[in-house]
Amino acid sequence: MADISTTRCWRLRLLFVLLAGLIYFVHLLPLRTGPGGWPNPDFVTLIGFVWVLRRSAVMPVWLFAAMVLLGDFLLMRPLGLWTALGVLALEFLRSREPTSRDMPLAVEWSMVAGVLALMFAGQALALAIFVADQPRFTLIASQFVLTIFAYPLVVLATRHGLGLRKALRPQSGALGIRA
Amino acid sequence: MARSRARAEDFARPVRRVLVVGLIIFLVGLFALWRIDNPRAERFRAMVVDRFVPSFDWAFVPVTAAAGMIEDFQSYARIHEQNQELKRELQQMKAWKEAALQLEQENAKLLALNEMQLEPKLTYIGGVVLADSGSPFRQSVLLNVGARDGIRDGWAATDGLGLVGRISGVGANSSRVLMLTDSSSRMPITIQPSGQTAILTGQNLPRPLISFLQEPDQIRPGDRVVSSGDGQVFPAGLLVGQVALGQDGRLRVSLAADYERLEFLRVLRSKLANTIDDPGSMVAPLPEVQGPQLPREGTDG
Repeated sequence: MADISTTRCWRLRLLFVLLAGLIYFVHLLPLRTGPGGWPNPDFVTLIGFVWVLRRSAVMPVWLFAAMVLLGDFLLMRPLGLWTALGVLALEFLRSREPTSRDMPLAVEWSMVAGVLALMFAGQALALAIFVADQPRFTLIASQFVLTIFAYPLVVLATRHGLGLRKALRPQSGALGIRA
Repeated sequence: MARSRARAEDFARPVRRVLVVGLIIFLVGLFALWRIDNPRAERFRAMVVDRFVPSFDWAFVPVTAAAGMIEDFQSYARIHEQNQELKRELQQMKAWKEAALQLEQENAKLLALNEMQLEPKLTYIGGVVLADSGSPFRQSVLLNVGARDGIRDGWAATDGLGLVGRISGVGANSSRVLMLTDSSSRMPITIQPSGQTAILTGQNLPRPLISFLQEPDQIRPGDRVVSSGDGQVFPAGLLVGQVALGQDGRLRVSLAADYERLEFLRVLRSKLANTIDDPGSMVAPLPEVQGPQLPREGTDG
């Protein structure tokens, strides 16, 4: 918990806000206004998940919720639904953060993939219960697959771009302090 | 020290959990509100979008233009200029062809009806496309004109040649155009030579579907499709496109407007703007029509 200084923590939070703004800006650019084209991976959610699994203190739930909710508003998604699912997933991953420290990337990746699958399924289920418009299955499935494949990229960018790694060998550090 | 921190965490954890649960309840409530009172929620969304997007006006337009130029440059290399010119000429030619067709039909109508009153020409407000919907799940664009410029919900937007969509969501400095290809778009149309009316159903595909057509046998691919003006959704007689036969054998409309790259739109001022203010009600027979009242009226008269 104490392994990251407060200023660094706030700098990373500011960076998250800027990155989310940039991602929404790029999504909103009217380069192709017609139908068709590929959906974008949900990078804002992915950054939230990667950071919470690296340093859970960097990604407070209110900041994550605020930025994803802004995405709900700007990208014409049903208001609040994706954010609610994202907050649930983020809190689940936060509770798994200590045990995921010595997980290899492949295991962590499959855990996040499972969480994302539940999120997409939950979205479809909620839209069905509320009798709202369902997006086309091929589109939503391709967004799901693209988001999963973008996860290692976000991990690599976080590790090499920001130098944010998992807290290694937590037991010895904690024991050292305690002793 | 570590122990005191651990104790503080133990103390903070239930509070935090309550806050997170409260946040989730708030978000689910927001979703329920969005579903139950959709027009109000969408007005709220328009306000939020109006707060954030137009303030990046200075960045959106140049970046879009630069990206468009790079894209053109990549695909057409040196003949970029020529190509642009050809495209512009083609679009002008299409407009002239459309004008000729309209004049021809107008002439025929005038010949047929001596006392014909032409509708006053629709005036328009021009707007620059600032942003799109941000995902392929929704088909809409955001214009840089809004309530401040006199835009109202329900007005039609064209790209100068064909209909693009209708205004759905107005902020002070921005307004959203719901395109005909969006999966929630329905518009009444007339198919020209046969005069049949139908509904154009957007499906998030490049070519919207013609549905509720009475006699499909009278329709041929290539027939002109215009707005019918029914239900006061759009002014009558706006060009939509041509009938095309889809790969699945269903009748679709290939749209006249160039949807791929919308840069400027014209919003037509019209008096009949059918706005959506309430969540809507069931389509059911009117209470006056039901049985017992008719004999009473008969005895009165």
